[in-house]
Amino acid sequence: MPVNVEKELSQSWKRLHGAQAEIGKTFYRWRQVALEFAGDEVAPLDVSLRAAEIFGKDISKSFLPRLNWLKGEEGFMLILGKALAGIWNTDGAIAKVEKGDNPGEIFIKCSRDPWPTWAKEFGVPMEEVALCRERMYQSILEDVGAFMNIPLKVEMQKAISRGQGETVMRLYKA
Amino acid sequence: MAKTLFEWDYSGFPGAEKYPHLFKPIQLGNLMVPNRVKYAATEENLNAHDGFVTDAGVAYMRERAKGVVGGLCFMQGVYMDEKRQGQGYVGQAAAWDDKFIPGLKRIADALHEERAVAGFQLMDCGRVGAVEVDYCHGPSAVPQRLRIFKPVQEMTRDDIKAVVQQHVDAARRGVEAGFDVMEISGIVGYLISNFISSYTNRRTDEYGGDIRGRMRAVVEIIEGVKAACGPDIPVGIRLCSEELLDDVRGNTIEESMESYKISEEAGVDYISCTLGWQESIYPVISRDIPMGNWIHLAKRAKEHVKVPIQMAYRLFKPGLPNEKIGAGELDFWEICRSMIADPLMPKKVLEGKEEEVRHCVACNLCLARLFRDAPMTCYINPVCAHESDPEFTDPPAAEEEKEVMIVGAGPAGLECAYMAASRGHEVHVYDKRDVIGGTLNEAKNAPYGDDELWTCIEYQKVMCEKAGVEFHLGTEVTEALIEEEVPDTVVLATGPVYPEIESAAKNSDKVVNLLDVMSGKAEVGEKVVIWGNRKPGIGCALHLAKQGKKVTIVGKERTAGFDINPSFKWRYMIYMRQSGIVAYNDCDIVEVTEEGVTVQTYDGVRWQVACDTIVVSERATNDNLKKVVQSEGIELFVVGDALIPRNLSSAVHDGYRIGMRV
Repeated sequence: MPVNVEKELSQSWKRLHGAQAEIGKTFYRWRQVALEFAGDEVAPLDVSLRAAEIFGKDISKSFLPRLNWLKGEEGFMLILGKALAGIWNTDGAIAKVEKGDNPGEIFIKCSRDPWPTWAKEFGVPMEEVALCRERMYQSILEDVGAFMNIPLKVEMQKAISRGQGETVMRLYKA
Repeated sequence: MAKTLFEWDYSGFPGAEKYPHLFKPIQLGNLMVPNRVKYAATEENLNAHDGFVTDAGVAYMRERAKGVVGGLCFMQGVYMDEKRQGQGYVGQAAAWDDKFIPGLKRIADALHEERAVAGFQLMDCGRVGAVEVDYCHGPSAVPQRLRIFKPVQEMTRDDIKAVVQQHVDAARRGVEAGFDVMEISGIVGYLISNFISSYTNRRTDEYGGDIRGRMRAVVEIIEGVKAACGPDIPVGIRLCSEELLDDVRGNTIEESMESYKISEEAGVDYISCTLGWQESIYPVISRDIPMGNWIHLAKRAKEHVKVPIQMAYRLFKPGLPNEKIGAGELDFWEICRSMIADPLMPKKVLEGKEEEVRHCVACNLCLARLFRDAPMTCYINPVCAHESDPEFTDPPAAEEEKEVMIVGAGPAGLECAYMAASRGHEVHVYDKRDVIGGTLNEAKNAPYGDDELWTCIEYQKVMCEKAGVEFHLGTEVTEALIEEEVPDTVVLATGPVYPEIESAAKNSDKVVNLLDVMSGKAEVGEKVVIWGNRKPGIGCALHLAKQGKKVTIVGKERTAGFDINPSFKWRYMIYMRQSGIVAYNDCDIVEVTEEGVTVQTYDGVRWQVACDTIVVSERATNDNLKKVVQSEGIELFVVGDALIPRNLSSAVHDGYRIGMRV
């Protein structure tokens, strides 16, 4: 009974992408729940940004055991940048890192981001997607920075809200 | 003139002749200690969850006090704050109020009744504390590296002053309870070490900054405790000689040695040399670290300070500490896990009964249990934490003598054999092999220290011989033999069976058994698939990877090595990664072909893995002989892997308990 590689791979591929789509949809379903409970006085963007912070705080807990200063500041920043890009990739993006011109400066470049598509499906403004990404990363970096005693920042350089082209974020030592 | 609490004369004891440096006196402050043996303070989670001492805790300590034969015996570190931020273990004893003194006195009295020097330890667990509350405390609010620990609240100056006073008050309570030596715990990530480390102390006030600033709180504690204890009670401190926190910018070695000097200046009478934090990424005390690996740190410490230096850390046998004390590179042999495994270990050494020592196998199950809020237990010592239960410590003699046939001379069978024989039964152990040890004969060949597991068999052999167990090696127990002997009781300790891979029928020449691989009897190709992702499979995979084989593990468990305790498992996972071993978990082998195997995930995805050899490490219950024994109407017990395939610990514990019951 030989293995049909095409069949096995396509089956696994479908399951992976199905699961990735559920990540985004689940987030926006819960966003809807949160807004209903929060009432009209609360701005939807504030709710989403708070969620992004909580996501970031939790993700940082899985970062901390793996942080390592033994490769020095430059190596540390590069590994950190890759870890941040990795979160995006897990969701179904194509994100890469590049060293910047300044010491310890890293650019995270995402050329395929599934989040704007999911957001559009739920009628969520595109700018919320970019702001939440930035807030989540910054929330992670707050704990990482406190842990390593190094102030870290991330800022959106270029946000492509409809998922076309490239989103660029700059990670640096503040 | 230094005070002597109890007179001990070791002359004439074989151990004192063989290890003369271990059994000679030493002065700590104004106290003369008869020997160089110390049972180091060890949490055991045996006390009440409100911090009061229990019968179990007292009995545990009394046994260890017997073992140190006049040396230092420390009770577990106590927490000292009513808010319980410093409490790191659910069963940790408390000393934040005078109401705890009577319970603490019970321990001091028990230690004195065994003529040991009673040690009291002050232990605020700092960033690894707050086991019962929401926030722990520390000099700075550095986020936790490990999820299991609580968030850290930064201490104010007033908080620091309060903690200093708590140490002083608790020390006074220890003295009132009758303890003879006071110790401050500053190790593995507890509060004192949090203040000293550049990793966790980011303060800019007088309690932070350079190493002198970071030591300020420690110095205040030492001075306060010294004053509370008075001149007759020596005060020591346990300090990291290396934090092993380079990856998170912890202290340099020079800073650690500076902390030793500052402590000495502050007046400590001895220093216990430790290393590593719970947050370190480096292994320190697991079985893969060779014995004596860290002893050079004691020598370095002695080069920096004049006070006596104590050290534990993989010093399980008396030879090396004796040698190093003789050479002036160490002053005290600290013992922790070795006396969890065998509380009487130093006593047996003194009496020339080293072969009767049940050696620790450095599995760290004891730690894994404590970190999960469970009472202490020991992988290898079934009596541990049952010291207050006479059924365990002094099993009653058998009401009627029985002829007991034990089938299998592995760890379960041997443990059962000596226990049953010592209770008055006539015990016969049969094994089809010519040697004792069962599957440990093969398991001990796994790398990274598994040869130490064999010490269990060596111990059991001696105990069996002492108890008069009769061996019938090279004798396979058959239905006919049972019918001929007609024993009163049969204990099946036959080990597991290794089921065949059904789909391998056409290519069975590729399939070999784990035991044949580990003993070197089977020929193994360059590409190997190991069927089974529990400990035996992992041990075999590492054994083969060391020979340069390309190894893939396929197993049904959701994670590889789920049967290994977490305090040791992480070592295996690292070695597997370093060796290039791939593990496909939650998977089955559904086909064996000429080229290799077809692996299928739990949800049906399949792929092929090329291999020359398939090693079966999966095990199953062994029901052979069970029906025969039952049909004869003979009392039957099944122990160890024959009952349910597990590990060495289960075999030993099963064997002991059935030996008590037969």
